Amino acid sequence: MDQSNREKTNVRRRKSFLTKRLDRFFLELYHIYAFVSRFFREVFFPPYEWREIIKQCYEVGVKSLPLISITAFIIGIVFTNQSRPSLAEFGATSWLPALISVAIVRAMGPLVTAIIASGKIGSSIGAELGSMRVTEQIDAMEVSATNPYKFLVVSRVLATTLMIPALTMYTTLVALLGGYLNVHQNELTTLITFFTQVFDAITFLDIIASTVKSVLFGFTIGMVGCYKGYHSSKGTEGVGKAANSSVVTAMFLIFIEELLIMQVINAIRIM
Amino acid sequence: MNTADNKRSIIVGIFVLLALVILIAAIFTLGGNQKRFISTIQVRALFDDVAGLKTGNNVWFSGVKIGTIKSISLHGDSQVEVTMNIEESAQEYIRKDAIARISSESFIGNKNIIIESGTQQAGIIQDGDRITAVNPLNTDDLMETLQQNNKNLVAITGDFKQLSSKLVNGEGTVGAMLTDTAMADNFRTIVANLQRVTQNTMRASNDLNRFTSQLNNPGSLANELITDTTVFNQLQSSMAQLKEASTSAAALTQNLQQATSNINSQNSAMGVLLNDKEFARNLQSTMQNLETSTEKFDQNMEALQNNFLLRGFFRKQAKEQEKLKQQQQSQPQDTTVTN
Repeated sequence: MDQSNREKTNVRRRKSFLTKRLDRFFLELYHIYAFVSRFFREVFFPPYEWREIIKQCYEVGVKSLPLISITAFIIGIVFTNQSRPSLAEFGATSWLPALISVAIVRAMGPLVTAIIASGKIGSSIGAELGSMRVTEQIDAMEVSATNPYKFLVVSRVLATTLMIPALTMYTTLVALLGGYLNVHQNELTTLITFFTQVFDAITFLDIIASTVKSVLFGFTIGMVGCYKGYHSSKGTEGVGKAANSSVVTAMFLIFIEELLIMQVINAIRIM
Repeated sequence: MNTADNKRSIIVGIFVLLALVILIAAIFTLGGNQKRFISTIQVRALFDDVAGLKTGNNVWFSGVKIGTIKSISLHGDSQVEVTMNIEESAQEYIRKDAIARISSESFIGNKNIIIESGTQQAGIIQDGDRITAVNPLNTDDLMETLQQNNKNLVAITGDFKQLSSKLVNGEGTVGAMLTDTAMADNFRTIVANLQRVTQNTMRASNDLNRFTSQLNNPGSLANELITDTTVFNQLQSSMAQLKEASTSAAALTQNLQQATSNINSQNSAMGVLLNDKEFARNLQSTMQNLETSTEKFDQNMEALQNNFLLRGFFRKQAKEQEKLKQQQQSQPQDTTVTN
């Protein structure tokens, strides 16, 4: 009897390779790897879903523009206003354009755009794909010989990867304009002087880093949203979870990427 | 594709295009700011210490940004070679003997290089030339000087403290001036006197002013004296004559002096007459002899008058005199009758 029990336990142990949790974690990692690598396999080969890509670009880029523009404008004003007292202590308020420029171009432009986009677009992608998975529309597409990955995932990830950098350009410009408005009101600085100081403070490396970051953020938002939605389960509850998880994971990854890219850029800057 | 799809595509296209325009504009503005898209020459300078200068920092010439730092590399034992990209348009203003100096854009700002133009004779700088570098002022040196200044300040404030305590205690002249009431009264009196003197001076100045204004009144003697050239010429000639007269007087005085000296001298007759005592005695005895002789001569003459030979002559003379006297007396009476 005892022997039969021991055998049963061994069989149960053999079902999990390490532990149940670790197995699940590494399995998840594998799924992520497979999902991402499939994107790179699919994206370069036809057929291309141009109509879907443009539709997604419209949803991601154009429809997010008003929200992102307003946010960026407010951030530009608030950041400038909050930075002024610190510089005023040194009598260096004339450095505000340089400070705003560095802060917005290097960090805030891509980061604010990515955070807002992950909230608006990431959640919507997660929820949309999640509901499609729950309602078995994705399964139906597979059955009907349509590549759901190419149609749903590649188009969305491409759209976010292309549109987030574009949105970052707008965000940066609008935030700088907000900063200019505040600086002009307080220091009576002209637009030309302001932008001369702005471009004096930044380098090509900053613009390149900002663009690379926003491309990576866009890819992350799209990929996380699609992955969470594509692999959602447990009915309508799973849809909510997918949407929520898309936003949280995307934001978390964005901050980690920001940290890593900053380190790399600083290393390049020193060289 | 239906119309909605087309519209969406166009909007996305515009959106992407605008984003690209922003990116390209930023790149070109930045490039223009950093002088990336203009032709440059490379100039080098060798520094002992670059004080944190970095690649991309600005190069200034006469307060104008003319380039950027291209590279910084170690050179030789411990020197640093800085290569600068300088605009070709600024090349003609920089001479071969120009000086490169490391400076700061502000007190806590970025480092930069300031190029000071050389002399005209040195010729224009060429691509790849090396210019003289002046090493920057070290912060430690600055701090050392500041520390020395601080010590001096401490000594000065110590002296001032001592001085002010003495002043408060009324020590010394200045202290007494500040604390002694008698001195204050004296000072007040001095000020009052000064005030009076000032008033007097003012009055005198007014008088002088009035006098000078009168001088300017045409027709007055003073004005005539000042303005009339004839009077001046006359005065001038009078002065010349006076001068002549004074010269003559001087000569006269000299002659007189000479004469007096001659008189005083016993060599001259007058000198002998005045000064020689022996001569005086002789003269005195001569005079006595003369007096005696005269007396005797008088007696002789009287005797002669009484002589019968000459008595007639004398009587005749007395009568003529009598007659003349009478005529003189009668003449004034005649004149009164005729009147």
